[in-house]
Amino acid sequence: MDELDVSLLRGTLDLLILKAVSWGPRHGYAVAEWIGEATGDSLMIGEGTLYPALHRLERQGLVEAEWGLSDNNRTAKFYALSRIGRRRLQEGSSAWHRFVETASRALRATGPVPA
Amino acid sequence: MSEPRPPGPFRLEVGGKRVEREVDAEIEFHLAMRARKLAAAGLDPAVARERALELFGDMDSVRRECLSINHERERSMTRRDHLGALRQDVGYALRSFRSNKGFTLVLLLILALGIGANTAVFSLIDALIRRPLPVPNPEELVIIGDPRRSNGMSTGSPQVDLFSYPLYADIRDGNRVTTGLLASGHTGRLDAILAEGETAEHPVGRLVSGNYFDVLQVPAAAGRTFSQAEDQAPGRDPVVVISHEYWQRRFAGDRSVVGRTIVVNRIPLTIIGVAREGWTGDVVGQRTDLWIPLMMEELLLPHHPWLADRGASWLLMMGRLAPGVTLERARLELSDLLRTSLTRNPTATGLGDIERELRNNPIRVEAGARGFSYYRSAYAQSLVTLMAAVGLVLLVVSANVAHLMLARAAARGREMSVRMALGAGRARLVQQLLTESVMLTVAGGALGLLVALWGSAALLRLAGGGSAAIPLDISLDARVLSFAAAVSLLTAILVGLVPALRATRVELATSLRTAGRGTPGGSGRPGRSALGKLLVVAQVALSLLLLVSTGMLLRSMQRLDTAEIGLARDSLLMARLDAGRSGYEGARLFQLLRDVTTRLERLPGVAAVTWSENGIFSGTESATTLQVEGFRATADEDTIVAYDRVGPGYFTTIGARLLQGRDFNGGDHETAPKVAVVNQSMAEFFFKAGSPLGRYLEVDSATWTIVGVVADVQGQDVRGAPEPRLYLSAPQSLDPPTSLVLAIRATGHPARLVDPVRRTLIEADPTLTTQSIYPLSRLIGDSVGPTRMVAKVIALFGGITLLLAALGLYGVMAYAAVRRTGEFGLRMALGAAPARVARMVLREALMLVAAGIVIGLPLAFVAGRVLRSQIFGIDLVDPPSIVLAVAVLGSAAVLAGFLPARRASRVAPLEAIRAD
Repeated sequence: MDELDVSLLRGTLDLLILKAVSWGPRHGYAVAEWIGEATGDSLMIGEGTLYPALHRLERQGLVEAEWGLSDNNRTAKFYALSRIGRRRLQEGSSAWHRFVETASRALRATGPVPA
Repeated sequence: MSEPRPPGPFRLEVGGKRVEREVDAEIEFHLAMRARKLAAAGLDPAVARERALELFGDMDSVRRECLSINHERERSMTRRDHLGALRQDVGYALRSFRSNKGFTLVLLLILALGIGANTAVFSLIDALIRRPLPVPNPEELVIIGDPRRSNGMSTGSPQVDLFSYPLYADIRDGNRVTTGLLASGHTGRLDAILAEGETAEHPVGRLVSGNYFDVLQVPAAAGRTFSQAEDQAPGRDPVVVISHEYWQRRFAGDRSVVGRTIVVNRIPLTIIGVAREGWTGDVVGQRTDLWIPLMMEELLLPHHPWLADRGASWLLMMGRLAPGVTLERARLELSDLLRTSLTRNPTATGLGDIERELRNNPIRVEAGARGFSYYRSAYAQSLVTLMAAVGLVLLVVSANVAHLMLARAAARGREMSVRMALGAGRARLVQQLLTESVMLTVAGGALGLLVALWGSAALLRLAGGGSAAIPLDISLDARVLSFAAAVSLLTAILVGLVPALRATRVELATSLRTAGRGTPGGSGRPGRSALGKLLVVAQVALSLLLLVSTGMLLRSMQRLDTAEIGLARDSLLMARLDAGRSGYEGARLFQLLRDVTTRLERLPGVAAVTWSENGIFSGTESATTLQVEGFRATADEDTIVAYDRVGPGYFTTIGARLLQGRDFNGGDHETAPKVAVVNQSMAEFFFKAGSPLGRYLEVDSATWTIVGVVADVQGQDVRGAPEPRLYLSAPQSLDPPTSLVLAIRATGHPARLVDPVRRTLIEADPTLTTQSIYPLSRLIGDSVGPTRMVAKVIALFGGITLLLAALGLYGVMAYAAVRRTGEFGLRMALGAAPARVARMVLREALMLVAAGIVIGLPLAFVAGRVLRSQIFGIDLVDPPSIVLAVAVLGSAAVLAGFLPARRASRVAPLEAIRAD
């Protein structure tokens, strides 16, 4: 992937993670898989970068973590959306959409002077 | 993907490296899953693992970042937990105090007393010994001379501990190590009339050089301080600066006082300004009201022309070091200058005396931050002794409070057990109990500050002994406050830790079952009561120490009050007058003295009157060089003796015992052959073989014949050792003293004669300056001020610790008796007489006290050594004091044990057995 995509990705990783756990608790690997699927495998620069982001979100209280058993009976750390995490997801998503719309409009401009 | 998983409220790991292990486990899980998926797609497991690692990215940096985030999280969580716990503890403690108001109050008072007493003595020590003068950069100051001689004066050969004005001028102008050098000297008693028609009062003044305020950098609060121009020519600038305190006290802070004229020693002086608030002078422990330029000295003190006299040593010097100059360099240069000036300018007494003085006495150049002080050396020792005593009191107080808290913690044993059964960690409970004791001691410490303020003021009054309190700046500064805080915390730990540990060391089952009260027969937790007993024994030991000290000090005071000093100490009245100021000298002076003596002897209650230059217990002494017929001096000391010039009938009037020959009489006047009397020590020293009578002395530029030998008299210090002393007939001396002390022998109480004597003196000559009239017993009492202060305070503390120990003993006995109620009931049911049971309790109390005494006795033996400088007339190990202290403690034991014993004997047997 090229540089532009990477920097865009980094800014939205947190939102993607929140989205990934919004349907129920997931462990880190599952989150990585989901992001890979949902973005067509094209945005991962290193699966490991997920973990600092996860831990940061946990420290900020946007997700809550608990150790549990995965479906193949290994112990894993599961992340679930907290109440304020859910709210952040909603606000963040709409803000993102708003931004994308405005930016798209600006980027599609055909001339220096607003039409 | 959805993974049903059982949510579990458990941590993966516990322990030190938990965070590391969790992060590693999480990463490992991811890698394993990724590798498994890759292997399932056909890759070799080893290759799959490698690929997984590749896909993961930079493992180290991820791991590091995760660890740092997690550690940070842990820390902030712990912080929040601790704060929450603390808040909880404080709330709990407050509730507990509120529900036991009486108990809490008692504890607070005891703590306030202990901490306050310590802080009071500390603040005194700090103010007197350590605190620098309140001026900018006190560390730049340097003192030349002996800082203890702030009120000193000597005439004759120049000294090196005090300096003459010409010597000061030489040093001031000749040195390159100070930016300014001031001189400060004693004025003697001043008579000041503040306004027309008012009676004279006696403010304390100091004669200072014109640069005094500039060198010290003390500004004026109103008006101005001395200018450069002032203090240049003798008598030209009759100005005065007054102190802020004096301004408030005598002029009500009225600003119009600047420019007003007051009359001091008959000289009108204009007030040019008021020194800033808080400045009480360069002499610590002595209040100064007025500062007058040095040049006014000869007008202020007529007949003492000192300004040009190199033989009049009366000034101390203080200066500010120039930038970059060390104390060492200043010392070298200033000493050199002094030595040069002294040896180049010999006085009438000759160079030999100066050289001897320089040889025998070091020139003192020291750091001057702490100013001059007479009181510092006089009281330093006593204060340190007090500090030790007061520290002991704190220990007793702590033991007492610890004991009380122990009792209370025991009562809460049940509560503790329940909480621990519900899962509270022991450390947590100990923390809570400690919070309680810290809050208690901090509150006690805050109250203690009030006690300290009041206490240090009281101590100063006590030390002043009758006259005004010693003025010291005892305000609470940061140092004193930190001391109080430190003492409080130390006490908190002493007091709180052991009870907290005790209370939480509970056997759950036993405690819950017996509802925390313990079973009859004493099988319930003997450990607790053993600790209580130990505390009581400790308190008794400490009390013994203080009581023995009290006994020794009180006996010393009594000995001092009745010590044989070789004269009639309880029948003499001493009146100091300065006839020179009224112009008397020579023949006129003796005529006046004869007149005054006749008048006074006519007063009812007066048996005889005499006079001398130095008086008795007056604080002034004279010494002279002499040559004794037939005695060859082998050392410098052999040619100097203390001496006094006295009037007729001196020894019979003061009650000294003549051993040989005769007293002075009216026949020993100006033109008669010169006669002298020596004391026993002098006779033994100079005339080992044979009687001194008829032998000759060369002294006072003449030849004198010895006509009498008198028994040694303690003239200045009750505790001093006897030394050779010479008495000359004053009318026959070369330059008779114009300032002298009348000694009036009373038939009854000398105090009753004070007013009649004063009136008679005014009648004889209204211009005569009477400086002071005191009974000799009062002067002697003043001279032992420090010892008296220590004695009174230690007696007070001894009483307090005795009370505390008795209360502690009572508490322990009462508790023990209650616990053994069942046992007593059983005994009495089986036929024991109530009296027998009571005696059992009493015996236990006495045994506790005995144990305390046994432990405390060795300490009491050491007490004498510690108090060595204060005691007098008794041995270092004083049996009567020890016996008395033991008796007092024994009676306290009986009293303390009495009530519990009585209650034990009144137990109704059946009820007691049924009670548990």
